[in-house]
Order: sequence, then C-alpha cells, then structure tokens
Amino acid sequence: MTPPLPLARRAFLKQSGLAAATAAATLILPSGLRGANAPSRKITVGIVGSGNIAHSHYGKLLGEQESVRILAVCDVDRERRDEGAARVNRSYGTADCKAYADFRELNRRSDIDAVFICTPDHWHALVAIDAMRNGKDVYIEKPMTLTIEEGRAVVAAARKHHRVAQHGTQHRSMKRFHDVAEYVRNQGLGKLERIECFIPPNNRHVGATWKAEPVPAGLDWEMWLGPSPWRPYSSLGCHYNFRFISDSAYGQVTNWGAHYLDIGQWAMDADAGGPVAVEGHGEFPSSGLFSNATKVNFTVRYANGVPMTCRTRHEGGGTSRFIGERGWLDISRNRMTASNPDLLREMQASGKKIQLELSNDHHENFLACVRSRKKPIADVEIGHRTTTVCNLGQIAMVLGRSLKWDPAKEEFVGDAMANRLRGRAMRSPWSLV
Amino acid sequence: MSERKQTATDAGQAALSADRKSNFGSTPDPWEACTRLEHGGDRSFAWSVREQVIDALPEDRERIEGRLLDALRRAGLSEAGRAFVCQMLALVAGPRSVPVLAALLKDPKSADDARYALQPVPGPEADAALRDALGSLSGPAKAGLIGTIALRGDTTVRAVLAGIRANPSEAPVVRDAAARALDHLKA
Repeated sequence: MTPPLPLARRAFLKQSGLAAATAAATLILPSGLRGANAPSRKITVGIVGSGNIAHSHYGKLLGEQESVRILAVCDVDRERRDEGAARVNRSYGTADCKAYADFRELNRRSDIDAVFICTPDHWHALVAIDAMRNGKDVYIEKPMTLTIEEGRAVVAAARKHHRVAQHGTQHRSMKRFHDVAEYVRNQGLGKLERIECFIPPNNRHVGATWKAEPVPAGLDWEMWLGPSPWRPYSSLGCHYNFRFISDSAYGQVTNWGAHYLDIGQWAMDADAGGPVAVEGHGEFPSSGLFSNATKVNFTVRYANGVPMTCRTRHEGGGTSRFIGERGWLDISRNRMTASNPDLLREMQASGKKIQLELSNDHHENFLACVRSRKKPIADVEIGHRTTTVCNLGQIAMVLGRSLKWDPAKEEFVGDAMANRLRGRAMRSPWSLV
Repeated sequence: MSERKQTATDAGQAALSADRKSNFGSTPDPWEACTRLEHGGDRSFAWSVREQVIDALPEDRERIEGRLLDALRRAGLSEAGRAFVCQMLALVAGPRSVPVLAALLKDPKSADDARYALQPVPGPEADAALRDALGSLSGPAKAGLIGTIALRGDTTVRAVLAGIRANPSEAPVVRDAAARALDHLKA
C-alpha cells in the first residue's frame, strides 16, 4: 500500500517555501518518492479515454495546478489523444504530458498516482483493474462497469490492492442531493412511500440497417472494441453513440440512471446492499445499429417495501422525486421543488440525528482521499451497488418479467437466465482475471 | 351452416385467393434467417428468435437449445449469425450444447463465440471442454480461454497454467494470462 501523504498540499508549500518553485513542471517526481521528505506533493494523474467526458476532467484538473499534475493522456483515437495532450501542455506551458495509444503503458508508469477512466463503458472495469493492479488510485466515470460481475471484480481489486477508488457520480458531492438524501433518511417526509426517477430519452435513431465504413486513419478500432463482441467500424456507432449499443452500454439507464438512482440508493441507506425485487418493461428497437431501450420503465423494490421507479421522460430531463406521507421533494441538477415550501426549509435545518458525509466537490474529495487513504464519498462499493440497480432494471426489461434479487449473494432468486445476464465473456485476449 | 359462419368462410376463401394472386412471398423462418445475419443487415428475424429464447419457459428451454444448436449446424452460417446464435446459447445452453461448442472452441475463428456461449454453462462438461481447448489455441484466443477457465474457478488446471506461464515458447499475452489466472485461482 502506498503510504499516506501526510501533508495537505497548501500546508506543505507554506512550510517548505517551495510555492514558487513547484509552479515549474520539473518537480514532478515518481510516486515512489512521495514520502514525508519528497520535494513534491502534487498528485500525478493519467487520463484514459479523451472524449467529451475527459474534457470536463481536464477543465477541472487543470484548474488545480498547485495540487495536481496531468502527466499522460491515452486514447485509441490519435486525434483525440493528441488533442488532449496538447490541451494539457498548452495549459502548463510545457511539452511534458505524453500521449498513449494503449492504457497499459500509461498504467505502468511508476510516476503516476491516479488514473481517471473516461472510456466507453465496456472498458471501465478492465482499465480500472489494470490501473489498481499497478498501484494507481482510480476515478471511474459512471456507470462504474457494464455488468454486475465486472462491478464486483472492480471492488475486489480495489480492496486487494488497497486503492482509493471513486465512482464518477458527482451528485454525491452536490449539497442539494446530499440534503435530500439526509432529510429522507431522517424521516423528514414521514414514512417514505416511493421514489420516482426520470431519465432523458434514448432518442438517437440511425435507420434499420447500417453500413460498415473504412476505419479512419489514427483510430485503433480493434482496441476501441476491446472486450466487446466484434463488429465492423461505423462512425454511427463509435465515440458518443456507443451508449446506445448494448455491447458497450445500457443507454440512458446507465448514463443518467447511474446519477438519479444513486441518490435513491443513498436515501434508502442501501449503499452496501440494494433492492430485493425488480420488474420492468422496456421498448427495444428490433432493427438497426442501436439496441438499447428507447423507452425505459422499471421498478426496483427494497426490503421495506418502498419502490423506486425509473422511467423515460421525453421532456424535462432527469429528476429524482421522493414521495412520503408528508409530501414530496423533487430534485435535479438545476432545481429543487417540494409539495410544500416548509419541507425545503426543514431540510436545511441543522442537528439532524442521521448526518451523511458531506462533500462539496467530487474531484477534491477524491484527491483528498488519495492523500489520506480514506474511502471517498462514492467509493467503488457504493458505485457498484448503484450500477447494479441500473443492471437490474436493464435485465428485467430485457427479460420482461419480475425478478427477485438477493443483494447479499448478488444473485437472482430462481431465475437461471437472469443470473447469466450478470456477466458476459469478453473477446480475446481480454478477461476479468 | 349459420349465416355468420358462412360469411366468415367466404371471407377466408377470398383472403386465400388474394394471397395466391399477390406478390408477397412466405415469411422466412427466423431460425434459418438468423443464421444468415450480416453486420449492418436486417436483424428483425434474429430479434424474433431472441424473443423466443427469452420467453421460453424453463421446461421449454431444452427444445429452444436444440433449435439453436440446429442453427449452428446450418450450411451458410454467417460469422454474425454464429455470434448471434452463441449469444443466445449463453442464455440457455446446458451440457447438451458442450460437444458442439467444444468443436467451435478449437477454431480461432469461432473460439470467442463458443466461449461466449460456454462461459456461463455450469458443470464439469463445460470445464473439460475449455481445458481441452488449451492444446488447440494459441495467442490472444488462448489468453481469453485461460481467463474464462480461471473465472469459472477450475482449480484442476493449476499445474497446466504453471507450465504455460513458464514456457518461453508461449506468446507473452498467453503467459501473462496464465500468471493472472494462477493468481486468481489462488485467491
């Protein structure tokens, strides 16, 4: 296990008088030299996957230049990795940030402390496990994994290698989501009756058939596919659109469901468990490249009988609505409403019996935990359990039947076919092992 | 014959007559059509098969499994069709499927599809087929096979894996896979 970094960056700079010196890029040293006498306290970072999501991380991390240094960028698309590395180097005024085509090379650099995983979903587990095996802490974009089996393997790797592993469900670090979850946990709404989550539609359509295209120069298509079943390249099914193809992701169920269902899990005190039953009826396209549900409708049910639904809403975006005997609260990233304004006032009151951990910045929380070795606000077990809820909904919709789930054993009860959908074999040479 | 029945019969004969005169062909058998699936092509018949597989009651799954195995044996089976049928077998396959899949497993072109179907099949028959294929595959396909064997927790293969790990003539990807598998099986 990497020893903890004993000093916060700012405190260290103040004590050592190195503030000006560390503004230069030359003081970045390997993680093996991060001990108490090391001249640098910057957390060194690699970013794997350099698309839209990664650029939101660039923006954040490049704004933390006193405490973080991005040393490497990886993408199987040359244009994307070069663009990512160039952005980093422009910001630092150096040429130190290196671009990689293969994440394994990045993960094997001994001078990188943490890896941000921003690939398509079908790669999350493998990149994370390899990074942790190589001593890196990881920030894994949501959904944490594609399958339930992968999620459990990621948690096992984090524990085995004593790694800090944060799931990229940043609602956990937004105060209003925290406040709602805490209020519900304290019975602020009285007895909770149900949770209703809405997610945006899966509204891409590219026709009933599609044509293979030549692989663009600079794109390693075999590596882009990685563990997912082989198919020829099509620009319609690469980059952002991967999420509409079930070989790579589960559409908005995992894209937005991972956020809104996550707050339901938090409010239900189910971060180490989950629901005990699920039923669902999705509408899936029977032709075309895209295979994920265009209309989502599933309900998970917890042991106390409280149901949480997840449905497509064609207008209005995603929300989580908590409905109790005293009224309801509806929360999204942009707004919070209630059946009665008194509920919102009560929610802000201090001195609640149950107090949930408060984080106001998901990146800061992760970086602080990299230093302290504490578990982050969205530790991988929490991420795995939330991603499992997404998977339960997906599996119930695929099968179109009610299922019982044992959250302790992570097994469906009495449904062999459903249990087979918890995982899938990977394309050679990849494997969870 | 009642007036209502007579009317229905007349309508039926008229429809039959219209069908004979129409240009419509008969609906393809989805179990045959799915074997000719091509990437990017019409997958609606494969979807029909998928629905039948998913909706099959437990007592009917052996029959469905048999139909999928028949599909795998069809002449003109396309690569995409084979991958699709194997993905369906992953949902219902049992020991009966193992001999057919074992043959596919030994061919590098079909090994991944076969492994996709075999990985979730419980029982010693599938374990034996996977172990047996170690001698037939090489390179990435062998590495993937080793991963599946380890994931299934087959500890009887430890000595074989140790040999692979130590064998300099094996590809690095295979030796790495063997090392990770041994670590996994030790846990």
